[in-house]
Amino acid sequence: MSLALALFILLAILLIILLAWAMRPSKKLSLTPDEVLATLSEERHYARLPQILQSLREDDTDFLLDRGRGELMSRLRDERRRIALRYLGYLEEEYQVLLEASRILATLAPELSAMGEYERLKRSLRFVLLCRYLRWRLRLRLQPWGVFGSISDMAGDMTLRLEMTSARLGERALMASDFPLFLEKGRRDSH
Amino acid sequence: MVDALNLRNLAWALTTLFEIILFSYIIHRRVYRTHQAFTLYCVVALLQGVLVAIAYRYFGSQSIQYFNIAWGAQTLVVCARWLAVIEIARKLLNGYSGIWRMASRILFVAGAMILAYSMAVSRMRWDLMITSADRAVELCIGVFIVSLFLFARYYRLAISSLERQLAIGFCLFSCFWVINDSLYQHWGNSVSVLWEISGIFSLLASLLLWISAVRSATQPHYSTVRIPAVSMSARQYQELSQELDSRLKLLDSRLNHLLRSEDSRS
Repeated sequence: MSLALALFILLAILLIILLAWAMRPSKKLSLTPDEVLATLSEERHYARLPQILQSLREDDTDFLLDRGRGELMSRLRDERRRIALRYLGYLEEEYQVLLEASRILATLAPELSAMGEYERLKRSLRFVLLCRYLRWRLRLRLQPWGVFGSISDMAGDMTLRLEMTSARLGERALMASDFPLFLEKGRRDSH
Repeated sequence: MVDALNLRNLAWALTTLFEIILFSYIIHRRVYRTHQAFTLYCVVALLQGVLVAIAYRYFGSQSIQYFNIAWGAQTLVVCARWLAVIEIARKLLNGYSGIWRMASRILFVAGAMILAYSMAVSRMRWDLMITSADRAVELCIGVFIVSLFLFARYYRLAISSLERQLAIGFCLFSCFWVINDSLYQHWGNSVSVLWEISGIFSLLASLLLWISAVRSATQPHYSTVRIPAVSMSARQYQELSQELDSRLKLLDSRLNHLLRSEDSRS
């Protein structure tokens, strides 16, 4: 059998598998319009990153080892790893909520940019994969709580950007005060 | 061989019977009001069966007349199937103007690319030209439907049970037809009867699915179009979408910070 023929058969089988996958019931996030608006007007988890990063620094707990409290140190590190994992979960959850909001918006939009949607899809796939990778590393204790680079610089950069975003979001929230009603109507009509 | 021919005749008879049952359900459930293209497809498929049976009886399976009539009718059926698939796509996405505009372009470009690719790699052998073209079109339909479902899944669009089952039937039929045509191209005339029978059986399976879908369709069920009654202006969407994108990017950058931290450590 030639390669081209084999490829055709494989492609057909792949299509059947994809069809079965696309037919699976999806884990639907039931977002209320208020939640959608909240995603646009609230800043939730970003600000905690500097503390999380700080807690993951090895030298933050090294002093316990110096004082002969090795057991306490490892317990503390385990605890902090759990917190980091939870933080990661929050980040992912928040990302999913934002994606869900963008989907709701897309159903109401008169025109969508294919490139914009593609970029969003690409970014979300990357985000999910990286999240899993990080979680996997944390769970397997591959994170040795080592040097984290210039945390303060990073935090400073982050704070600056957050302030800018928050300010913009505040303005947007004021502008979009009728947005929940608008979405609520759309959702009611679509169900 | 005689057994195989008898089996083929039986399969033909069964197909025609199922098509009549499907058509009667379409009339009884008044599905023709909402699914004109699908109804047209059923009528054309039914007429094809009758026409091919007459041609087979009068000209014999090896005659050129039979060949021309059978493949000519098949071309009409494929065109009608395309119309039915596009109808499903429109029903699914039409209420979401932004998604429909974007998806229709992508779906048609993807379909055209698959068609061009299939024809290009099928080497211009005249004896296989028709099966190659047939396979290309079927593959194109399969890709179109699967992409449509992926869009629906990504945007969490509601699909009515009727449209879902009709589309699944079309997709499975097309995929099996692609496999069937490919096997025929490899094994040649030695499997021609088997090729024909397996083609008929895949149609039978799809017909059963469609009968079940149309039979369980109730008037309010299939006439309910789940579309948002409101839409936003392009400017509103642009602003909100940009805001969402900036938040998504921000979260992405948080993750990158975590990752970079890890990298710098290791």
